Amino acid sequence: MARTYELHDPSAVVVIGSGAGGGTLANELAQKGIDVICLEAGGRLTLADIENDPDLMDERMGWNDPRMGAPVWLCKTVGGTTMRWSGITPRFQAHEFSARTTYGLLDDTTLIDWPLTLEELGPYYDQAEDRMGVTGTHGIPPSFETSNYKVLRAGGEKIGYTEITSERTAINPVARDGRPGCLQIGFCHSGCKIAAKWSTLYTEITRAEQTEHFELRPNSMALQINHDDNGRITGVVYADESGRLHEQKARAVAVAGNVIETTRLLLNSASNRFPDGMGNASGHLGRNYMRHVTSIIRATMPGPVNFHRATRQSGLIMDEQYHKPERGFAGGYFIETAGTYPAAVAAGLREWGRPAAEYMENFNRLAGVFITGEDPPQAANRIALHPSERDDYGLAVPIIEYALHPNSVAMQEHSIRQTTALYESIGGTDVRASRGVGRACHNIGTARMSSNPEEGVTNRWGQVHEVPNLFVSDGGLFTSSAAANPTLTIVALAIRQADHIAERMSRREL
Amino acid sequence: MEEMKGVAPDLGKRRFVVACVALSGLAGTSLGPVLFRTGRAWAQADSALDPAAREAMVRMARLLYPHDAVVDDVYGEVLDQALASTADDPTLRHYLAQAHAALDGVQQAAFMDLDEEVQISAMQAIEDMDFFRAIQGAVRSSLYRHPRVWEHLGYDGPSFAQGGFLNRGAGDIDWLEDAG
Repeated sequence: MARTYELHDPSAVVVIGSGAGGGTLANELAQKGIDVICLEAGGRLTLADIENDPDLMDERMGWNDPRMGAPVWLCKTVGGTTMRWSGITPRFQAHEFSARTTYGLLDDTTLIDWPLTLEELGPYYDQAEDRMGVTGTHGIPPSFETSNYKVLRAGGEKIGYTEITSERTAINPVARDGRPGCLQIGFCHSGCKIAAKWSTLYTEITRAEQTEHFELRPNSMALQINHDDNGRITGVVYADESGRLHEQKARAVAVAGNVIETTRLLLNSASNRFPDGMGNASGHLGRNYMRHVTSIIRATMPGPVNFHRATRQSGLIMDEQYHKPERGFAGGYFIETAGTYPAAVAAGLREWGRPAAEYMENFNRLAGVFITGEDPPQAANRIALHPSERDDYGLAVPIIEYALHPNSVAMQEHSIRQTTALYESIGGTDVRASRGVGRACHNIGTARMSSNPEEGVTNRWGQVHEVPNLFVSDGGLFTSSAAANPTLTIVALAIRQADHIAERMSRREL
Repeated sequence: MEEMKGVAPDLGKRRFVVACVALSGLAGTSLGPVLFRTGRAWAQADSALDPAAREAMVRMARLLYPHDAVVDDVYGEVLDQALASTADDPTLRHYLAQAHAALDGVQQAAFMDLDEEVQISAMQAIEDMDFFRAIQGAVRSSLYRHPRVWEHLGYDGPSFAQGGFLNRGAGDIDWLEDAG
């Protein structure tokens, strides 16, 4: 059913990236009868290519091109990071859309309010939850209660938490929407072997391919966006699998490269008209990079937990998500179950010898969580281009500059104290937490939405302020990070953006 | 987009380290995690260490992460695997030779002839050296990916072929009622 488009055909919207933002936007547009070409830098895996092997799957689908600075966790494959994500999908809260008003201007931050509200995004959250199959919504039962979750709930109740749930996960607990229920295989980060976890690879992309308005081009790495004398986008230069360059003409372009690559592409598309990068008139492109406050916290429990015999993440505590400044920081966080495998636990060992081995001997008694919390924007946290290092395409490689804000440090310490108390209340011992900047992150900001064009890169629809037919469609849009895992909000914003693009096209503005 | 969630902290580290090295101009001081596959046969590679060095390094590997129920052969395989997976990079082999010489030098006696407690002190004497940290990382990374070690720890490994854990223990927990 899927069709193909000629390079010189300017009638299609070119979407760069096929993950949560790009895959969703592309399908939404195609369903509306709008022609779409989706350029994906990585190849296309099938379920047969997915194995319960984290190292192998990182080679098959990880984004391992040269990059400097803080570690990030992207995928270069059809489906993008939805292949690797955990599936946790809380909504943002109302006050988080007015972070600047609610928190005040924290020292050394660039906090502003979002140019939209929860009320406005609500209907799109509803659609996104239905599309993704979020447990506890649309008649979908809660997720299976894993042993790690049962430990979290017991400890949470013991220390007084009341909002503990095994809902809010985009993994089918039972068959739905043509995909099976979860078999508790584990290895969610290596791609879901049975497609129980929502990923655009086998949902949005395949749906788009059933229309007459969509072409997926895998192994197509976008290198530069071109424009005309009026500053309107005319096409995208990309390299195919053999390294040959092509220019695909475009009616409009939407960039969804999981923030790092989105920023790099826009910066690398600098021209006489856009000397500091496309969309960077404000100087904010690449800045205000956020990645959430995170920590991995594990305790040795009195008996076996076997947290590897389950979905990696299947439940969370929501009590700490609120803004309660009496805790000593602005914003809130979630405590989310997280299991893993021995090599990942061992990688965190500082000591060697008998104590290290004894800790590992208790592997099956470990319980663990992952913290996700609000991280305020700072101008100095940014994605920039290296002045001389080039990748195989000859493009400047990205540098990821990031340091935790004091508010984030205070939140991280609070989350560690709370989780320690939680586990100790039911006999947990030897609670260990990762501090500082984690290797795992959510990429947020760098092309943030703002009412005032001087304060951000994109408007309330994700359109680049100074370019009428250029959009950003990933977590880069977020004006602030909020506490919740970002994917649901990325999908909701993409669905909303598709409505906006369709409306402008119907008015012949695009 | 998600996590990221506790991706194996190993993954990506090598690239991060390499990137930092490149930025700071300090080439050749990094040795990333040694990765191997669970589905791949364990390498039978010639470790290219002389027998005395190999014996000492197997001993060091055991003392780094001493699991009494895990036999020496496994520690030997871990060492061989680490060497095989860095075959095109002589750094690890160089570090192992350095470590062997250093361990013999600490007590002015062959490391293998020392009592365990003295062996451990000899290792402690060099534990801050780059080569020690690199070997420690390589052994740790390989050891906890070894199927025999998984078996010992009660880790089940890949589960898809068995239909996952849904009907094989997911959610089972028998001590929680009595806890706290």
